[in-house]
Amino acid sequence: MAVIVAVWREEKHDEMSEAANGTEPQLDLGWMDRTGPWDTRAEPGKYGLTIADISIGEYGEAPEVSDNLTGRPRGAAARPASYRIGAYAVRSKNEIWLDNASFLYEEALQRQWSSATDVPWHTIEPLPDDVEQAECQLATFLTEVEFVAGDVPARWVSLTTPDFYEPRQVLLAQVMDESRHMDVFRKRALANGGGLMQATGATAGFVGSIDLSRDFTEMSSRLHISGEGAVLTLFRMGELMAQNEAEKVIYRLCAQDEARHVAFGVMHLRYMSETAPERREEIHCYLDEAEGGLIGAANPVGQLTPTSESMAIILGGGKEHFDDGMNKIIAIRRRQLQEYRKRVVSAGFGERFENGRSRVAQLIEEAAA
Amino acid sequence: MADKAAAKPSPPDRPAPKPVPAKSTQSDEKRNFEPKYNWMDKTRQWGVRVKPGKAGLKLGDLNVGIYGETPTQWTDQSRNPRGAVPRRGMPPVGYAIRDKAGLWADCAADLYEEAIQRRWAPATDVPWDTIEPLPDDIEHALCQVCTELVSYANVDIETITGWQHQMSYGYHEVKQFLATASFDAARHYECFRKRALANGGGLGLEGPGMVNRMILESRGGWTEAVVYLLVLRGAFTLTLYRYLGRYAHNDAERFIFAHALADKARHVTYALDHLKYAVAHADDQLQVVRTLIAIGEGGLTRDLRDPVLREALAVIFGGGVAKAAHRGMAVYGEMMRDYVATYLGYCEWLGMPRDPARLPPPLNEFANPPDAGA
Repeated sequence: MAVIVAVWREEKHDEMSEAANGTEPQLDLGWMDRTGPWDTRAEPGKYGLTIADISIGEYGEAPEVSDNLTGRPRGAAARPASYRIGAYAVRSKNEIWLDNASFLYEEALQRQWSSATDVPWHTIEPLPDDVEQAECQLATFLTEVEFVAGDVPARWVSLTTPDFYEPRQVLLAQVMDESRHMDVFRKRALANGGGLMQATGATAGFVGSIDLSRDFTEMSSRLHISGEGAVLTLFRMGELMAQNEAEKVIYRLCAQDEARHVAFGVMHLRYMSETAPERREEIHCYLDEAEGGLIGAANPVGQLTPTSESMAIILGGGKEHFDDGMNKIIAIRRRQLQEYRKRVVSAGFGERFENGRSRVAQLIEEAAA
Repeated sequence: MADKAAAKPSPPDRPAPKPVPAKSTQSDEKRNFEPKYNWMDKTRQWGVRVKPGKAGLKLGDLNVGIYGETPTQWTDQSRNPRGAVPRRGMPPVGYAIRDKAGLWADCAADLYEEAIQRRWAPATDVPWDTIEPLPDDIEHALCQVCTELVSYANVDIETITGWQHQMSYGYHEVKQFLATASFDAARHYECFRKRALANGGGLGLEGPGMVNRMILESRGGWTEAVVYLLVLRGAFTLTLYRYLGRYAHNDAERFIFAHALADKARHVTYALDHLKYAVAHADDQLQVVRTLIAIGEGGLTRDLRDPVLREALAVIFGGGVAKAAHRGMAVYGEMMRDYVATYLGYCEWLGMPRDPARLPPPLNEFANPPDAGA
């Protein structure tokens, strides 16, 4: 490097004043020798220049335990005089890491959508009053619960060291997704001669709720595996639930987003299982609690009256076909449970279904009876 | 329906068998579920039919009738959507920001929709193939600036997400706008990192972090964080993007800085609108913000005295080390004067004009053109 480095100075007031008053300063340039690994040349691939493409050399190495308390970008040169600003609670890699974070993040960016312009709102036509009320009750519920998955991941992002920036990026995309879900269901409630109805309180501050989790993996098992998993199954039934093209599009796009969030939870749990086996029993306890929520109030086809009744009306096509709707609810619930079991098996905790710890198999059998 | 058992009664001298409760199953639930429908007709306003306009069905379009009423205080501590019938007796979630003056900006809903319409993906939208090798000194300088910008984006992320979950549901427009702002910051974080690692360079030296600490330590409320993050630092970042776009070396850099600028302009717009609202609706807030600004200027000045960012910018603006001290520093001075003018303009607009002479040195020296005192 053809640069003469002068004496390093952390502060150089005069130079700035010289810039202000137009006189020519003498430059220090010592910073040119203080860099992270040099000669890095990440190349764009088939999907552009992704964050996986820049995870090369030391820049791709996330530490097992982060000692970065200044918020320094991973791989940058440290400055001893820099302030410690990060009181990060999440500093161990296995607490938050997953192997496919960069893929999920880049996919999230590619699949962003607009509830204002991508939903064909003009296809909504007036519905019978009982069906519209049921739609609005469901939309009220979804407006209420969707942003739990925005508020809570946001809080954990602020507590996580930037050395694990890849999972943080996915969580930030999730906050954005949930914001859109909150607004699209509000829009649906107010677009067709109805209005919002009664909130359920399903996301109140109960012990064991997503909000009150004290650990990221605990939160993720409740939010991503159980809660969003159940909602994902439901959204995938959009063709069955939708009364028009607008609703089909809403459910399809929301399902796409939810699938990423659920994938985050599964992949994180798998990583945790493989790298911190001493925490497996603890994770099973979280899953015990999460399974309690599978048929509970936070599930629209759970056993909470306002949402399950409204779902039965929507799925049956009116109050007079309520029983048909209930049959479909039970089928959806069965599918939710089956998909939940697959996810937990995929995450590496399948033994709970073999050793009698989980009630899920029993619930599936009961639903099939 | 005829009951076969009823058709064949038990002999009168034998007691009827004791009924055995059936095992509860899901299918029993199906058979036995008697709908109550007690949720029906529970609405505060029915018959709402919001129609999409030219730009689609926007968040702000929904603010009709009671659904558009945003009270000055939101006492509900649940996630009750604004305008829905609340459910009584629910344990609170625990929101700290429940006063409208603590976060509101009338433009939040519009900025939210604009952010979604103007989304971009650094991986595929930036023409990375236009980046060509640069002279070593310029590549060093650009990588150093990108390192600082990654840190700025990091503070955006950590600050916004640290406050977002504390904001009441009654002001969902702001929460939603901030979701776009933290997502923008995520994009900036990766995009500047990508630029630093794409052209034979690497990350540089971390920044001094005084302003970062000041922003993250805003314990006095979201409004305080807005002053530091989006006005003092925000206006500076905005100016940086503008000048870096002007001195970009290729289409990729031009694209990056132009799009980051558009994102940041939304954040600053929210900030100014919020502060205007806050000082108009909260007692003593005007004086509080004035004080915060004075404190913030001190922190900013301390960071600016550090030579690293300044020199790196001068190398870029000068086209290399050889012309950095003269031409580069001259452009840097011009940039700082632009920044100070923009910042003073914001203060003026907010109704708290700053006397340039009272800015901490050497910030005050940029309040005047270089030959003004001659």
